Amino acid sequence: MTQSNPVKRVKKKKEFNPINVIAPLVVLAIIYVGLEIFLRVFNVSEYVMPTPTHIIQGTIKSFHIILPDFLFTLKIICIGFCIAIPAGILLAALFSQFDLLVKAMQPVVIWLVITPMITLIPLMTLWLGTDPNLRVIIVIIQATPIICLNTLNGFTHVEREKLELARSVGATKLQTFLSITFMNAMPQVFTGIKLGCIFSTIGAVSADFVSRGRGLGDRIIKFMKYSNFEESYGCIILIALIGIGLYTIVSMIEKRVVLWKK
Amino acid sequence: MQNKVFSIQHIAKAFGNEKDGNYIQVLKDISMDIYEKEFIVILGNSGCGKSTFLKILGGIDSATDGSMELHGKDIGREIPREELKKFGFVFQSNNLLPWRTAEGNLRFNLNTMKLKGPEWDKRVDEMLDIVGLLDYKKVYPHELSGGMRQRVGIARALVHDPDILILDQPLGALDAITRKMLSYEILNIWKKTQKTVVMVTNNVDEAILLANRIFVFSNKPATITHEIPVDIPLEHRNHEIANDKRFNELREQINEIVRATL
Repeated sequence: MTQSNPVKRVKKKKEFNPINVIAPLVVLAIIYVGLEIFLRVFNVSEYVMPTPTHIIQGTIKSFHIILPDFLFTLKIICIGFCIAIPAGILLAALFSQFDLLVKAMQPVVIWLVITPMITLIPLMTLWLGTDPNLRVIIVIIQATPIICLNTLNGFTHVEREKLELARSVGATKLQTFLSITFMNAMPQVFTGIKLGCIFSTIGAVSADFVSRGRGLGDRIIKFMKYSNFEESYGCIILIALIGIGLYTIVSMIEKRVVLWKK
Repeated sequence: MQNKVFSIQHIAKAFGNEKDGNYIQVLKDISMDIYEKEFIVILGNSGCGKSTFLKILGGIDSATDGSMELHGKDIGREIPREELKKFGFVFQSNNLLPWRTAEGNLRFNLNTMKLKGPEWDKRVDEMLDIVGLLDYKKVYPHELSGGMRQRVGIARALVHDPDILILDQPLGALDAITRKMLSYEILNIWKKTQKTVVMVTNNVDEAILLANRIFVFSNKPATITHEIPVDIPLEHRNHEIANDKRFNELREQINEIVRATL
């Protein structure tokens, strides 16, 4: 052709940039050292804020006590989260099929997102009993609405031209949904799932706080009671690590799936 | 003359409802016979309803009145789904699916039409080759320039081997230089593939360069005001066409008509 370029263009690959990893680690190190120095220089009491080193030492020392609760919370979050993802997406897919249902359900979903599910826990104990594993339900009803809301937003905002393309090739309703609507919503689906990570963690820990008996949330309160502040902070960090871990996994999957974003 | 491929009789299109007072007639009594291997160009002011007309031809929209005949068979006011394979639609702003590579975009048409097998795999390569983008098979649209994207759009419209290629202002979103280059390329593609083409444009020079026959549409409600056969032989249609005597005569004549409809 008249203007085709015979030179094969070098495909740009998203290269691994070490700065992306080093920069946050440096910030973390600065916070660690800064806190350490600040707390020691101003002689801040351990009751107010233990030094980072003491937090790590204390947590390692009591890790055998923390571990079962850590695993329990991890299990609750993971199971709840893994159920919330398909539940949220399927509900959004269902709602998006009917304009009326979108109009009817969107405010309800928003209402569910806003309501802190922790408020339901005392009632749920009344309905379902005190089995700690039932906290999975809290995680599910906390995370599903936010995933559903974002996904629904993606499903209902498809460019008209894309749908016209589907029409011009005679795509069925299912073909259009799977290869246009769903793919088009993929970035929003991932936003929803990432928010779902955060909501799952919040749901699980707040359930621990109210129901007690097991879990990292429960462990924090117990340590506080016995003035083991180092371990309390250690538990908080562990909860954060669960959330960060999930978030990182989802981000990594997103990078492999959503290849078309600039 | 050759075989009649497509015949349009008294097509009309209106939106809205007379009772609600939002009734707009967009197309009024349009009749047109399209013969095999013809290149038909429709000229009209922006907003006159040219695109609506093409959407009816491409099976995206249906007419409110009139009828169409494909290969002598009456198909009513809307192209039936099973006949859509006979049409290829090129959109104004390329309308590529950003989550699919150049090849993937061509495969979208084949997949939805359930065209499988090695002969179709070969055809994907052939079509990308025709538009000069075989080297960019695995590249995502966001990595391509505007002109290249539209060439993929043209290849996509050709991949399922349609009888009629429909181009809705395919060069409208491009810069002046790319636009000129690509108009010659469309001429070449037409020569190579021997398709019947219906194209909408608002550029008189482009229309004369490409068309067998030019139809001028009036303002809303659009109807055909002039039908102008372009009797410039194919061998004169090249980069020197601006020096052609007949080209300049036609250009003057059409410009006059277009000015009068403003």
